[in-house]
Amino acid sequence: MSGPGTQQSTMASRERVELALAHTEPDRVPLDLGGSAVTGMHVDSVYRLRQALGLDAPGTPVKVVEPYQMLGEIAPDLLDALGVDVVGVGLPTNFFGFENEDWKPWTTFDGTPVLVPGAFKTEPDANGDILMYPEGDTSVPPSARMPNGGLYFDAIVRQDPLDEERLDVEDNLEEFTPISPAALAHVTREVERAAASGRAVLANVGDTAFGDIAFVPGMKLKHPRGIRDIQEWYMSLNLRPGYVNEVFERQCEIGLRNLEAVYDAVGDAITVIFVTGTDFGTQQGPFISPKLYRDLFKPFHVRVNDWIHTNTRWKSFIHSCGSIWRLLDDMVDAGFDVLNPVQTSAADMDPVALKATYGDRVTFWGGGVDTQRVLPFGTPDEVRAMVKERMRIFGSGGGFVFNTIHNLQARIPVENILALYDAVNEYRSYPLD
Amino acid sequence: MTLQEELREAVVEGQAKVAVAKVAQGLVEGVPAGTLLREGLIAAMAKVGGLYEQGEIYVPEMLVAARAMTEALAVLKPELVSEGVPTAGTVAIGTVKGDLHDIGKNLVAMMLEGAGYQIVDLGVDVRAEQFIQAIRDGADVAAMSALLTTTMLNMQENIAAITEAGLRDKARIIVGGAPITAEYAEAIGADGFAADASSAVRMVQQLLAT
Repeated sequence: MSGPGTQQSTMASRERVELALAHTEPDRVPLDLGGSAVTGMHVDSVYRLRQALGLDAPGTPVKVVEPYQMLGEIAPDLLDALGVDVVGVGLPTNFFGFENEDWKPWTTFDGTPVLVPGAFKTEPDANGDILMYPEGDTSVPPSARMPNGGLYFDAIVRQDPLDEERLDVEDNLEEFTPISPAALAHVTREVERAAASGRAVLANVGDTAFGDIAFVPGMKLKHPRGIRDIQEWYMSLNLRPGYVNEVFERQCEIGLRNLEAVYDAVGDAITVIFVTGTDFGTQQGPFISPKLYRDLFKPFHVRVNDWIHTNTRWKSFIHSCGSIWRLLDDMVDAGFDVLNPVQTSAADMDPVALKATYGDRVTFWGGGVDTQRVLPFGTPDEVRAMVKERMRIFGSGGGFVFNTIHNLQARIPVENILALYDAVNEYRSYPLD
Repeated sequence: MTLQEELREAVVEGQAKVAVAKVAQGLVEGVPAGTLLREGLIAAMAKVGGLYEQGEIYVPEMLVAARAMTEALAVLKPELVSEGVPTAGTVAIGTVKGDLHDIGKNLVAMMLEGAGYQIVDLGVDVRAEQFIQAIRDGADVAAMSALLTTTMLNMQENIAAITEAGLRDKARIIVGGAPITAEYAEAIGADGFAADASSAVRMVQQLLAT
């Protein structure tokens, strides 16, 4: 690789991102890797990339900073090597409700040496599966499972029989709590540290994702109550809209208070705030109708975005996988500034049409390269060609932060990852080709 | 409105209790179970599939309708057995090894059940041997699902294992899931691919008609 990031840059990373978000062309298209749990890289791929770049001696383990999806740490030396412009900040506990601390060695099923948090139970069960426990507490049933030979965790649904008469919104609100003084101190420290790096700060601290199916099963809760089964939740959008609306209402109040607390602590040191990662799209079309989005979700998105725009200089970030073209008029109208991951491999998600229709109002944070076919199964030349094309389409006039479509997964040929960042370095400078 | 029409409407609208009551009423009134199945449940789910494909309804409405169908079918099943009503065929369905995602797989299973097929749900993280056993047990179709680019490759291994076991001509193999395309299905030697649950029903109907 010809040394991405080694090229002289004249602009600080944060300024580069801010200009892009203001729909102005900076010196180069900004780059995110690892700024959030949906813009990162599986630890197996991080390990192999670090080895290929000569950053580590063979066998040097990589930290798993997000155990649910097994994302690897994008450490400062890798940020520098690739020319990354964004650093992420989150709450002190992970998806399973324990802190990433007391690191211990483990080897993934693919043989990668890693470090995992102390509460990550690495002894397999009788099937050879790895089970995860809420808050690391093995006295309660496990909340997630990585199958033997697998690469990620998925939630184990723990659903008590539903009694329609006794449904209580409090049961679906247990995981949404006012930010604790300790968590706020952590966020403050981390934002200050991230801002001091000169990079833009992407913060995910508010618990403002309404109805995110990744969280509905309550993986960090020891005894989740309420509606926790994924299909039951989707049906509830249709069968129990009043209940869901009340959950969102209360969650919104808590979330806005948390954002206020964070703003009081760190002010505009945050560049972009991660508002929601709820997936609204399948490969072929939206999960829900535009009308249901307007009735049930949009009012809360509007409230959160209005609060952000009235009280802060933060830009608001929405992540939704899949084909969401039919929802985008309403999502953009709800006031989101940033759209991720821009899944152009899904139906109706044509890059040219997206940029032409919404490019003056939203910044595309993603869409840089297809991760369903081109990156895992294509050739390095195909990867390069797609990066070049996407830089030209999305980068014109600013409004683009380069990111792959969702996390880079495991088992991507390292040649393709090298080709990806080599091409990013080659084609990111304005004026674009 | 005839009773069958009322049953259809209840299923399409996702009114499980009404659908169950209509099936019970039909049986009491002497309507053949096969008629209630064909003109009630199967016709309703065909309409649901069409509405989904046209973008008139979405995943929550489809799930609610499918649940109404499933609950009504549970009441009907003993009568179908005693009447000797044949199923349209048996489909063994599962998410492949290493993959625990089942929303899409479950939707396909429900729509196929609603089209009159008997479903053998193998669940998630399904090994090749389980598909092989299901074919030995008489499945006409093996349906494999994967959400991940890292697990979709197991479909090819499953097909190789089924071929190795000498069973490739005993069952049709269909594949689906977010990263799967028709080109990929063809490349690994599957008999069919469908992009969503509704077209999966058409695919199975076509495959078993030939």
